[in-house]
Amino acid sequence: MTRLSGHLVDTARRLSFTFDGRAFAGHPGDTLASALLANGVQLMGRSFKYHRPRGPIAAGSEEPNALVTLGRGARAEPNTRATVAELFDGLEASSQNHAGSLQRDWLAVNDRLAPFLAAGFYYKTFMWPKAFWEKLYEPVIRKAAGLGALSGLPDPDAYDRGYRHCDLLVIGAGAAGLAAALAAGRAGAQVILAEEDFRPGGRLLAEGGLLDGRPAPDWVAEVAAELATLPNVRVMTRTTVFGAYDHGIFGAVERVSDHLAEAGGGVRQTLWRITARRSVLAAGATERHIPFRDNDRPGIMLAGAIRAYANRWGVTGQRQAADPVAIFANGDDGHRTAAQLAAKGVPVLGVIDPRRDAPNLGGYETFAGATVTGTRGRLGLTAIEVTRGGRAEWLDCGLLGVSGGWNPNVHLASHHRGRPVWDEARLAFLPGPGGPAGLIPAGAAAGQGGTAEAMADGLRAAAQALGDLGIAPAPVHLPAAEAEPARQEAFWHVPGKGRAWVDFQNDVTVKDIALAHQENMRPVEHLKRWTTLGMATDQGKTANVTALAVMAELTGKAIPETGTTIFRPPYTGVSLGVLGGGDTGRGFRPTRLTPSHSWAEAEGAVFTEVGAWMRAQYFPRPGETHWRESVDREARAVRAAVGICDVTTLGKIDVQGADAGDFLNRIYANMMGTLPVGKVRYGLMLREDGHLYDDGTCARLGEDHYVVTTTTANAGTVYRNMEFARQCLWPDLDVQLISTTDAWAQIAVAGPRSRELLTRIADGADLSNQAFPFMACGAITVCGGLRARLFRISFSGELAYEIAVPARYGHALMARLMEAGADLGVTPYGTEALGVLRIEKGHAAGAELNGQTTARMIGLEKMVSRKKDAIGAVMSRRGGLASETRRLVGLVPVDPGAGVVPGSHLFAADAPQDTAHDQGWITSACFSPHVGTMIGLGFLENGEARMDEVITAANPLEGTEAALRVVSAHFVDPEGGRLRD
Amino acid sequence: MTDLIPMTALGGAAPRSRRHGALSLVERPDIALASLALRRGAVAPAPGGLVLPGPGGLASADGLAAFWTGPGQWMVEAAGQAEADFAAALAAMAPGCSVTEQTDGWACFEVAGDAAALEALAERLVNLPAAALAPGRATRTVLHHMGVFALRRDPGCLALWGMRSAAGSLWHALDQAALRLTAFDET
Repeated sequence: MTRLSGHLVDTARRLSFTFDGRAFAGHPGDTLASALLANGVQLMGRSFKYHRPRGPIAAGSEEPNALVTLGRGARAEPNTRATVAELFDGLEASSQNHAGSLQRDWLAVNDRLAPFLAAGFYYKTFMWPKAFWEKLYEPVIRKAAGLGALSGLPDPDAYDRGYRHCDLLVIGAGAAGLAAALAAGRAGAQVILAEEDFRPGGRLLAEGGLLDGRPAPDWVAEVAAELATLPNVRVMTRTTVFGAYDHGIFGAVERVSDHLAEAGGGVRQTLWRITARRSVLAAGATERHIPFRDNDRPGIMLAGAIRAYANRWGVTGQRQAADPVAIFANGDDGHRTAAQLAAKGVPVLGVIDPRRDAPNLGGYETFAGATVTGTRGRLGLTAIEVTRGGRAEWLDCGLLGVSGGWNPNVHLASHHRGRPVWDEARLAFLPGPGGPAGLIPAGAAAGQGGTAEAMADGLRAAAQALGDLGIAPAPVHLPAAEAEPARQEAFWHVPGKGRAWVDFQNDVTVKDIALAHQENMRPVEHLKRWTTLGMATDQGKTANVTALAVMAELTGKAIPETGTTIFRPPYTGVSLGVLGGGDTGRGFRPTRLTPSHSWAEAEGAVFTEVGAWMRAQYFPRPGETHWRESVDREARAVRAAVGICDVTTLGKIDVQGADAGDFLNRIYANMMGTLPVGKVRYGLMLREDGHLYDDGTCARLGEDHYVVTTTTANAGTVYRNMEFARQCLWPDLDVQLISTTDAWAQIAVAGPRSRELLTRIADGADLSNQAFPFMACGAITVCGGLRARLFRISFSGELAYEIAVPARYGHALMARLMEAGADLGVTPYGTEALGVLRIEKGHAAGAELNGQTTARMIGLEKMVSRKKDAIGAVMSRRGGLASETRRLVGLVPVDPGAGVVPGSHLFAADAPQDTAHDQGWITSACFSPHVGTMIGLGFLENGEARMDEVITAANPLEGTEAALRVVSAHFVDPEGGRLRD
Repeated sequence: MTDLIPMTALGGAAPRSRRHGALSLVERPDIALASLALRRGAVAPAPGGLVLPGPGGLASADGLAAFWTGPGQWMVEAAGQAEADFAAALAAMAPGCSVTEQTDGWACFEVAGDAAALEALAERLVNLPAAALAPGRATRTVLHHMGVFALRRDPGCLALWGMRSAAGSLWHALDQAALRLTAFDET
């Protein structure tokens, strides 16, 4: 069809696109919807439940009907609103939610079954048999009722994320937003102006009005040009601010390349987190419709949308240019559309207005005191029924515009549970108090919808924000706008028989709301969930307030008494891909690698995740077919010769200062300040409530210099807690802390031949038992002068050391130890063997220190010193913990072939297996190459007095049990002779 | 001199570098790093003539640079000193202070490019107002869930210190952000 004059589309250039495989042409500046309408295509989709033919009703992001799938294959994007999809050359769009063609959808049989498919039908219908829901009912319903389908393929597009900061975020670049941005920009504030459309201007592009006697888009262009010259202003078009979050942070999605035929390898969308000191919500308003019988046919649109299509895109929504256009409106706004269309030469049938004193703005007939009571047209509107004074007549009509007033877009203002407030004069909910701090609604979003009002309100909002920020305002001259008649009268729906749609997207009708009322689903939250009104991609932008008004009428209450509608983020649909910010697969979260990682990789290690760390779990050797073979071999090698293991992951905290010893006395339950220089001591840390939370060693490297080691899991927590204690609990102590976990590659060298191996690399250091006894530490050099720290500590129960070198040498040191110890049988071991060795030795680890256990339970209550105070010490002596009788014991199966299962609960041999008789649980278990059977550690009531007793380990959930003998937790060298040799 | 061969944080024998359009990324394993904290009653030293900066500050002089990390706390950098015991050298220059070796606790990556490109990259990496990363500014922040120090050495250089064990993840984040930015610029 020929475009109307005065549009903003570049008709000199042609863009080809397809819809359902059919080729069409449009122009730059078109949306998919405007281009299809220009080609006489009204039918763009099928409705959710009844599969009714549907066309667009709106010209913006509020569109409930014209949902299409863009692209194909892995790039297919379902549920895209044709009304905001920017046209590009080669765009491929397809309709959705139909079986067969869009024109002949056999699922439209649902429409015939409508009397059985009213709101709530499936809550009542598909109850029995229960098993059928998941297997039969749900799949069938999902297939029949739904929107677009996902491709099911990995998303091939790139996404990005970023952060921006500003003094003032202006949300929406319409009349109010442009005025606000201009005022703040000229005043020198850092401004971000975000606009979801690809072109700034908002309704100024759609209204067809004049500013200072010139077309409004000219003023928009001038303001945009000035804003572009201001270095302190950033205009972000194609950017939807979708949510207001805490502390002035807003979420926004910028559609970077969605409008390009070829993204050129660039990102598709960017997720921005915008931190704004103040914000202006100039998001405009959404027009509402008036439900009447069969009001959902393609060709029935919002009157304001028809005005937008005509003025901005030069198109009308009829299938043929000669088809008459009618407007059904309860206010003057609808008449403006009719007058403008008539002036552009569009055949206007007239304006049907329920008001008896309805005006006439010229060029059309006014049907005062009339309503639309029915429509005809299978795939598009052909006729409307107009009823006046009880007399109905059918009139040919190819396009009907409906105008029931405007709803301010209060969405972001209600994101912090700011309740919108009903304004009876404006017949609208306005942003209420309690919304996001610093957010100032302006323009149509604040109920100031006229062009002159909106611009002035934008200035007011900017002035308020600048005042708050202490920035002096700069003068802004606003152009004069034409008078816009805006009188309206409340008129919410046309009563009568048949179905009158309220929520197009979810196929919710006035009857459904009446049914909800009848079923006592009257509060709006019940109404929404029971009828699905206001759900899905449009979140009821064109439906919610109307539904509330209908419910109010049914309950006989005023609208504000019936309820308010409140919105949560996101304002429009946001793809999960962009929320991920582009990080997928291995880039999804950080991974920490040990200094010897690549060495271990080359050795064929199998890795395991330990928090963010990747640690070598075991090192399979040729011929080993099961992990147990590798682990048993590694554990045996440590007991018989020497093994090496990267233990860099254990936390290391450097503690210095004159009061370092005193500080550590307060952090550790046991005495640490008395530790001599050059010595290491095992220490326990308690939570404030007296339970154990971490253990490790503390080495004193100098008079006022210590290194605390923590478990891998608690490295961050211990450091954080120590910092808290330093800064907040005892700021008077002279203590300085810093983590050195990553700085040093720490390698455990364990086994009877460990001294021999280390002596070979230790640059002549005397490592004899006399010179460097158990629990000694000190600085040495290795491998020809490399600075190193040596600690004689043992987790395995064998003669053992840990040696630390600058992390960059960890890889080389590991290789050197292997080379130097080849004749000693040196063997790398992983976390699995590490676990076996410590269970055999009876050392507590994370499974024992699980946050519910105490020093008393692991037999170390004497370590909680009474000579000084420490975090948790007093609470550890409270009644509930002091009377605790469970103790750490060793467990072996009576039948040597039987298993020991961690997590099993312990019961006396003949006791009932219930909570009342529960005596403890198994914390850790493994196969012990040393013992030759499975072994376990566990907490057992009065465990120390029950050696040799046979008890039952039961897993009542899985119905398994085993007879275990209680033994010492120290399966290896209980006297500790080996580690002191 | 040890005969062990060191490895960079990214696992290479030589520092890694990469170029994306106007942006160049390079690993800097040569920079030594040590923390310096004032003990009770200590007066802030001026190691090697370096005036230790205030909050958010970055100062450099004679091959040394320092950035503020907390009240009475700084990190001190020494380019080309990573193989030496720089912490010991710094301790000698800063009597009455606690000094801790940090060289291998961290990995340093530098991004070079024009100011606009660096700022476009920075806003995709860290949630900081532009002023916090103006030339001569440094701050501790979070990047892709990792704690980092971000330093704007000069208009054309942004340095990031991240924990050494996560160097691969940090490099990946920088590399991806630079790549996406470049790809977009070229469209």
